[in-house]
Amino acid sequence: MRMFKGTLVAGLLSLLAATPVLAAELEISDARLRMLPGDRPGAGYFKLYNAGDEPAAVVGAETNAYASVELHMSMEKDGMAMMHGVERFEVPPGETREFAPQGYHLMFMKPQQSLNVGDEVEVRLILEGDERVETTFEVVSPAAL
Amino acid sequence: MRQGRTGGNGKVQRRGAGASQAVARAGAALLLTAALFALAGCEDVNWRGTDISDAMPALDFELIDENGQQVDEGDYAGKTTLVYFGFTHCPDVCPTALARLSAAIRELDEPTRDAVRVLFVSVDPERDSPEVLDAYTEAFGPRFIGLTGDKAALDAVTNRYRVSYRLGEPEADGSYDVDHSSAIFAFDSGGDARLLMRDTDPVDSIAADIRRLVEKG
Repeated sequence: MRMFKGTLVAGLLSLLAATPVLAAELEISDARLRMLPGDRPGAGYFKLYNAGDEPAAVVGAETNAYASVELHMSMEKDGMAMMHGVERFEVPPGETREFAPQGYHLMFMKPQQSLNVGDEVEVRLILEGDERVETTFEVVSPAAL
Repeated sequence: MRQGRTGGNGKVQRRGAGASQAVARAGAALLLTAALFALAGCEDVNWRGTDISDAMPALDFELIDENGQQVDEGDYAGKTTLVYFGFTHCPDVCPTALARLSAAIRELDEPTRDAVRVLFVSVDPERDSPEVLDAYTEAFGPRFIGLTGDKAALDAVTNRYRVSYRLGEPEADGSYDVDHSSAIFAFDSGGDARLLMRDTDPVDSIAADIRRLVEKG
């Protein structure tokens, strides 16, 4: 029974994942969470399209699957790879911006449950103005690009 | 050619064609000369990475592998060896670099793959025990081996290849970030330094370079 319920939820979630989520006229697509083995942090990548007339901005994220989530940016300087926190990620009206490997990413810290490739994780992106938009991230392999 | 010049009615036209052909030929000759010069000046014009044969020393280290064994460069002799410095709490850059290498290795045929080893050297031994490294590298494929060591052993390797790393200040929860080199060093089967690749290089470029390194032995 429990499994049935899980399947049903997963089915509904995949339905949701198939259609872009709309809030503040911000469409999220291609959302994936690249997990690492054990309790190592995961990285979240996705595309954001602002269908509205006003700039929209992501200022945070939260999920039940990890203890905390931060907006980060990787950069390279003088042959050194480094990472720093980002307060705000803006998407101008009519534009698409991407969280992608070796650039902007969500850093998912301290997994609260064991995850497997193919699992789906609900993530709420926190937008400026305290609006939240929930979207489904597919868990992908550490070796996924 | 000679007939064209001594021809009748078509003379002018043919001459015109002959002249443009001659220009084209001269151009081709120039290009060929330039290419030959380039070849003479630098044998390996086709490497996608940066040739570091004369700039970097041979592979040399004493570290602990993911099975907890003391290892040195001799343990990987006979393999084309790629070395990358990172840490397992790195969510974005390190897994992406290893994923690129993994994808590049998957592009190679089986015997070539077997001739390659990727050494992931963790500069964060405090959190990256051999057990952690074993589980971590497993995710990228059988040619990936995790290594680490104490600060002296790590500093000896990073200094040797003129890269650095820096452990950040711990947050309230004890987590900390690590700045590390974005370089991938490639050594030939004899352990000589050959190429510097970047962890942002396209998969196809990395695959092409690895294939050539293995072919050259």
